[in-house]
Amino acid sequence: MNVSEVIRLGFGALKERRTRTILTILMVMIGVSLITSLDGLGAGFDNYIEEQLNTLGANVLIISSSEGGGGGGFGPPVQGPETKLTSQTVRTIDRVLGIENTVPFYRGAVTIKSGSEEKTISVTGTDQSKLKYITPKISLESGSFVSETDNTGIVLGYNVAYPADLDRPFAKRGQIVSLISFEVEETGGGRQTVKEKKKSFRVQGILEELGNSQVDNTAYISTSAANSLLNKNNIYDGIYGITRDADENEEIEERIRKIYGKNIGIISPKSLIELIQEIVGTFTAFLTTVATVSMFVAAVGIITTLYTSVLERTREIGLLKALGYGNRTILFMFLTESMTIGILGGILGILTGVIGAVLLGRFVLSSFGGSGASALNPVFLPIELIEVFILALSLSIIAGLYPAWRASKLSPINALRKE
Amino acid sequence: MKSKNNKFAIRTTDLKKIYLTGLVKVYALNGINIEVKSGDIISVVGPSGSGKSTLLNMISALDRPTSGKILIDGVDITRLNDKTLSKFRNRRIGFIFQSYNLINRSSVKKNIELPAIVAGMPKKMRGKRVSDLLELVGLKGLENRKPTTLSGGQQQRVAIARALINEPAFILADEPTGNLDSKTGNEITDLLCEINHKKGATIVAVTHDLEFADKTRRIFHLRDGLIEKETEGFSYNEACKRA
Ligand SMILES: Nc1ncnc2c1ncn2[C@@H]1O[C@H](COP(=O)(O)OP(=O)(O)O)[C@@H](O)[C@H]1O
Ligand SMILES: [Mg+2]
Repeated sequence: MNVSEVIRLGFGALKERRTRTILTILMVMIGVSLITSLDGLGAGFDNYIEEQLNTLGANVLIISSSEGGGGGGFGPPVQGPETKLTSQTVRTIDRVLGIENTVPFYRGAVTIKSGSEEKTISVTGTDQSKLKYITPKISLESGSFVSETDNTGIVLGYNVAYPADLDRPFAKRGQIVSLISFEVEETGGGRQTVKEKKKSFRVQGILEELGNSQVDNTAYISTSAANSLLNKNNIYDGIYGITRDADENEEIEERIRKIYGKNIGIISPKSLIELIQEIVGTFTAFLTTVATVSMFVAAVGIITTLYTSVLERTREIGLLKALGYGNRTILFMFLTESMTIGILGGILGILTGVIGAVLLGRFVLSSFGGSGASALNPVFLPIELIEVFILALSLSIIAGLYPAWRASKLSPINALRKE
Repeated sequence: MKSKNNKFAIRTTDLKKIYLTGLVKVYALNGINIEVKSGDIISVVGPSGSGKSTLLNMISALDRPTSGKILIDGVDITRLNDKTLSKFRNRRIGFIFQSYNLINRSSVKKNIELPAIVAGMPKKMRGKRVSDLLELVGLKGLENRKPTTLSGGQQQRVAIARALINEPAFILADEPTGNLDSKTGNEITDLLCEINHKKGATIVAVTHDLEFADKTRRIFHLRDGLIEKETEGFSYNEACKRA
C-alpha cells in the first residue's frame, strides 16, 4: 500500500466537501480554543493571586478591634463588642503559640502638603524595621526607613511621591512636608467642632512601587509620631501578627479566638486568597465543563460529517474495494480524514485560544480599572497545550472510528449497485 | 492449492447463488458450469435478471457463491479469505463497469492509478504506465483532465486504462457499452478486442449488445441462472482476432 497516496485520497474527499469540512473543523476549533483559553486564564489568575499573596506576606494575621473592622479602615463599621488594642493586647498576642512577632500600627487619613500642592493620603505609624514581614517585597527607591525613636521622619509610598496626575514629583527626599489630621470633637450639647492638628516631617525615604495599591498610596511615620498626630491615645488600629508558618494560620487564629472570642477581628490574607481561589476554581471548573461539552459536540459533528460522507461515497468505497482496497486501507483512509479535522481544529483552536486569552486578560484588567496594575497574563504550559491537542486528536479518532468502520465493512457489490 | 486440472483459466462447477432479500429467496444462479481458456474472449448474454452480473461478480471475487467452486488458474477462490481476495482482485482482475465508476474529483491520471496505489507500485512506474495506457486507449495528453469534462466514450476508455494498470490476467466487463451510443460502443468493443490480442488478457464481458457478442469467440446464453446454450461469435475471426 502506498500510504501517502491513500492519505491524499482522503484529503481529496475532504476538499470536495469543503464547506462541511470547514464547519466541522470550526466546531473542533471552538471546543479546543475554549479549553485552551480557560486553562490559560485560570492559571494566569492563580499566578495573579499568588503575586498578591507575595506582596502581602502569607504568614501574617491582621488583627483589628472588632469583627469586620478590617485592617483599620475599610469595611462597614460594626457595632458590637470590640476589644481595644493596647500594648497589653500586643503582649497577649505575642505570647500566642505560633506568633513570632507582633507589629502594632496606627492608621488614619491625613492631608499632606508639599509647597503649594496638597492631597489626602493614608498614613501609617508602625515599626518600619518590621514592614518586611508584612509586605516582604517592600523596598526603598531612595533614602532609609524611619527609626522608632525618630518623630519627624517620613517615608512616602511610590504613588504619594509620584502621583499619576502630577508631571513632577510631589515631594523629594530631604524636603519638609506637613501632615494635617482632623478630629471631630464633641463639645457638649450635641455640638461638634473639627479640630486640626498639623505637624511637619522631613522626607527620609521613598518606596519602590510595590503593585499593592494600599502600600503605594501610604506614607509611613514612626509609631509614636502617629499616636500623637492622629490622637490615638495609645489605642492601636491594628496589629500584624507574624506567624511561624502560613499553613498554621488557621490554628493560630483559633488560639487567639479562644482568648478574645468574637470580640476581635482576625483576617488571614492566606485564607482570604484561598477562598477567592476556591470561588474562581469552581467557576473555571464550570466553564471547563462547558468547554469539554463543546468538545464532545464537536466529536458528534465529526461523526455526522464523516458518516454522511460515507453514505455519499458508498459507490466510491465500493469501487475502491472492488479494485482491491482492503478493509484496513478504507478504515485508515477515513481515520485520516477525521484526524485531519482533529489536527487542524486542534492547532487552530490552540492558536485562537491563546490569542483570545491574552486579549481577554487585558480586557478583564481594564474593566477592573486596576490602578497601574500589570495585565492578567494567562499562563500556557507547553505540556498542557500538548494535552489539549492530544485530547482533540483522540476525540477525532474515536469519532471517526464508527463511520470508518462502517465504510470498511461495506460490501463492494451492494455499494456498486447503489445508484 | 493448485488442482490437477489447471489448463483452464476459469472453471466453475455447479455454481449457485441465492440472494436473501427479507424473507424472499432469489435464485440468481442455479448451477453454472463453465470452462474458459487462458487468453480467450467471451461474452455472456441473456435477458435482464438472468444472472449475468451475478456470475461476473462470483468470478471476480466481489461476492461469494452460495455453493459450488470457482477455480481461477486452478485455485478455488471460494476458499480464500477477504484479505487474500482483495489482493487477488487487485493483481489479477481488471474491472470495467457500465457506469464507468470514475472518481470525479480526481484527475484522469489519479483514477487510472487507483489500483496501482494500493498495490504499492512506485510512482515513476505508475507514471510510465499511465502514459503508455493513455496512448493505448487513445487519450494521450488528457491525464490532468477531470472525468466530468470527458465524453462517455472517453470516460469508459479511462476506466479501461484503470483496469489494465496492474497488468491483470483477466478483464471482467459488465455491459461496458451499455451507456454508449452504437458508434462509440463499437470503438470500445474494438479496443477490448485489441487488448485481448495485444496483452493476452482473458476477457469475459456481459453484454446486451449482440454486435459486440458476435465479435467474441464464445457466447454464453444465460436464462434463469442457467447456461441455456453456448454459441460462437461469427465475426470473431475477422473482427476481434485481427484488431
Ligand atoms: N445483491 C442482491 N440482492 C438481492 N437480489 C439480487 C442481488 N443482486 C442481484 N439480485 C437478483 O438476482 C437476479 C439476477 O440479477 P443480475 O445478476 O443482476 O441479473 P442481470 O445482470 O442478468 O440483469 C435478479 O433477480 C436480481 O434482482
Ligand atoms: Mg447486470
